[in-house]
Amino acid sequence: MAHTTFKTRTLLLGALIAGSLIPLVPLTNDAGAAQGPTLVVYSAQGYDKAAVAAFNSTHPGFTVTLNDNSTGPLLQQIQAERNNPKWGVLWVDGSTAFAALDRQGMLAKGIVPRVDFNNVGRANIPADGSWVPTGLTATGALVYDSAQISAAELPKTWAQLTEAKYKGMLGMNDPTQSGPTYPLIAGLMNYLGHYKRGSTAAAVKAGEAYLEKLKANGLVINATNGPTLGAIQSHTIKMAIIQSSAGYGQEISTTKSLHVAYLNPVTALPGCIGIDGKMPADVRAEAQKFVDWLLTPAGQHVMQTGDPQGDSLFWPVLNGEKPANGVIPPLTSVPMQTINPYVWGPLENTINAWFTSNINNG
Amino acid sequence: MSSTAGTLQLGRERGRRLSGIALWLVLGLLIVAPVGCFILLATSPRLFGQGSQLFTLRYVSEALSGVTGQGLFNSLWVSVVVSVLAVALSTTLAWLVHRTNVFGRRLWPILMWLLFLVPTWMMTLSWVDVLQPYGSASAIGLPTSWLYGEFMGPFGIIVVLTTASLPFAYFVMSAGLHGLGSEYEDAARVHGAGRLATLRTVLPMVAPALFSAFAISFAETMSDFGVPFTLAYHTHFPMATYTLFSAISSFPANFSVAAVMAIVLILTTVPPIVLQYRTTTRRSYAVLSGRSREIRRREFAPASRWLVSAGIGLLFAVSVGVPLVGAVLGSFVRDLGIYAGGAVRLTTTYYRQALSPSVAGKGFSGPLLLSNQIALGVATLTAVLAFVFARRLASGTSGWSQRVTDFLLLGSVAVPGVVLGVGYIFFYNLPVITLHVINLYKTLPLLMLALVATALPGQTRLLAGPLGQIQSSLGEAARVHGAGLWRTWRTTTLPLVSRVMLWGWLLTFAKTIAELPICQILYAPSQEPLSVTIQAYLGNYEIGTGTAMTVVALVEMFLVIVVALGLFRVFTPRGWRRIGWSGVSS
Repeated sequence: MAHTTFKTRTLLLGALIAGSLIPLVPLTNDAGAAQGPTLVVYSAQGYDKAAVAAFNSTHPGFTVTLNDNSTGPLLQQIQAERNNPKWGVLWVDGSTAFAALDRQGMLAKGIVPRVDFNNVGRANIPADGSWVPTGLTATGALVYDSAQISAAELPKTWAQLTEAKYKGMLGMNDPTQSGPTYPLIAGLMNYLGHYKRGSTAAAVKAGEAYLEKLKANGLVINATNGPTLGAIQSHTIKMAIIQSSAGYGQEISTTKSLHVAYLNPVTALPGCIGIDGKMPADVRAEAQKFVDWLLTPAGQHVMQTGDPQGDSLFWPVLNGEKPANGVIPPLTSVPMQTINPYVWGPLENTINAWFTSNINNG
Repeated sequence: MSSTAGTLQLGRERGRRLSGIALWLVLGLLIVAPVGCFILLATSPRLFGQGSQLFTLRYVSEALSGVTGQGLFNSLWVSVVVSVLAVALSTTLAWLVHRTNVFGRRLWPILMWLLFLVPTWMMTLSWVDVLQPYGSASAIGLPTSWLYGEFMGPFGIIVVLTTASLPFAYFVMSAGLHGLGSEYEDAARVHGAGRLATLRTVLPMVAPALFSAFAISFAETMSDFGVPFTLAYHTHFPMATYTLFSAISSFPANFSVAAVMAIVLILTTVPPIVLQYRTTTRRSYAVLSGRSREIRRREFAPASRWLVSAGIGLLFAVSVGVPLVGAVLGSFVRDLGIYAGGAVRLTTTYYRQALSPSVAGKGFSGPLLLSNQIALGVATLTAVLAFVFARRLASGTSGWSQRVTDFLLLGSVAVPGVVLGVGYIFFYNLPVITLHVINLYKTLPLLMLALVATALPGQTRLLAGPLGQIQSSLGEAARVHGAGLWRTWRTTTLPLVSRVMLWGWLLTFAKTIAELPICQILYAPSQEPLSVTIQAYLGNYEIGTGTAMTVVALVEMFLVIVVALGLFRVFTPRGWRRIGWSGVSS
């Protein structure tokens, strides 16, 4: 009798384990299903999920899938996949990575749709058309807390930020962790070194000297926008040089006393999209449809509503389109420079390594 | 007659060899090939199109100098300190829980499991949430600014990593003590040994568990990424896994420097393993039999009993209470960490945002369901494989094969998830594999395999202790009485290891749901696991919503554990719940 009970229980336990594995059945179809979708979008944009969902719902012919990650992991995956690429489209902020990919012959050329770009849009299109700007933010925007420092007390120039009266008040992000921060540093070097063309050595030196002065003046480094904004909100610092959309996002969501000011000049940070040049022609055609759609009014609308307190707070690069929120000033009021990504892109690793050793851990 | 016996022997030998090859194949595909591909980059970046050099040692010196070298040094000394602390604390705790009349003997192991479930990145964020200016502690009127400064440095790093290592060491030590039985202590005391002499008699008998606990704590601390990425980074205290990650996440990524660091991380596990082998191969530690022994507990005097129990309570209040309270408060207090003139505003907004986000496609019910499905498959496959590997490790007859397997399994504990993830890209995305063998890259099955690979070493270690303590005479007796292989296993081994296997399964289930680095690298497009969704919220400075999601996930994991234990109680014979080790009383 006892033996029967034991046997029955063992059988029941076995049946239970087998039954509990039934939910796994849908997952086993995945390997086959992965051959179905032909276009994979690698994106770090906050509105990418909304954009892919909207595109799929209006384009029933094929399915676009999304690998949503930070810029660093996406570029890491693209580099690791180099011998056998799986990405179809890359969509991140900043053009320096695209310039590097273009130099390596990894991007399809001539993908820019025939749409009515505005001036900043046109300024951020490469000559060979290997990537397309889809929106624009500024890096190096001065986000400050008016509860701690008034607009009148703010520095008016980059040089004033190194003055003793701003000691311990300023924060910024780590360029090895925060995508928009290397373009900020490159922009500072470009501006402070009066860079036009040729060797960047003098500009790099000028930028390094400036960052060392900021450090001596109590510059606080955090990994990304979140902790840097948190440092302002907890009154650890009073202002920070970060991406404009991050500042506007916090201003309209949690801390009304946060505002954004612009020292002359800030650096343009275009949201860029590029297509893998090694994809088969049919996949490339699908990717092109996706890129084209993003620059239609429908695509722009989804981009401007998909992450209303974050990445959606950009300046459109098309004539006739307006920013999503009234908190964003007219683009004409923002002193903005554009850096050459083919010049500054290849220096990213060297400059970031210098920053890690001398500013962040120095 | 002798010819038949010889044929049988030969057949058994061949079967054993074949099963050995099969296990090596599994280990090769899960761990050796992907990690091997990655570490080849240390000297031959050209093999994977990552540079022009076919052979170079340039990256070795690059990895061992500057910030990366400093990171390795910091990780080494922190790991040694953490392992010693974790083993000392866990041994004391295991003895108190299993051998004395301390209060809360059923509660402490459950809290230990809770501690096990909390990922280190969440632990750190919760500590910071609690201690930071305008954080949870100041919200309830506790001044913590003096502690915040101390915590943001090596002290805080060691505190968090020790609490994170504690469960690993505790469960290994509990298994060791449970298998030991109290008769050995009794025998020593009967022969006139004092407390110290009894300790000297008993401790060497749990030497495998002690060394195993040290080795696993060391390897887990070396490979931890959560603390180096959060607390250590913000305190400008570079640690190896962060500098490795930094080398990989820069653009263009420096895979070769990262590969050198991965090699160093793996090699650091050699000394603990050698130490463990030197100790354990000299004698037998098989003390676990099928007898259901009644353990005699040491009776504390009432005052001592209260005092010791309060001490344990304090330990758990700090290690479990702070992270959980931090997380729960962080999910209910609006704008935690933001200066608000002293006002604390409670809110359920973050939960509402988590359950029904205002923006389409940002919900977490889909990722939660998917993560549960993935965890179910990963935990089950890992349990089966871990049992097979643990049995091989515990057999003590495999010689070099056993040692190499053990080294690979422990060495791979020290491999950070990000290395395993990128290694999977290099190996499973090789054109020769995708075109001619199997095209798994960017699919859920590949993600699941990688998650099995990351869980297998730990779970094998968890099982190896109890399996190593099962006396072989049990199986031999069953065979002598005519039982077949299956029946022998079902009636001798399974009852003794069923509880530890169940807990191992639950552990893998929970850890898989919380796992981030591998999921982030290998998740199939448009099939986002929960950890990636939560990280996206936290990274997008929607901390409250991300924390609310984390709390819901933790509650769900805890419910799964309760249900699984309930089912185990209903469906298994009572005897299974009395013998063998599980970590907690059923």
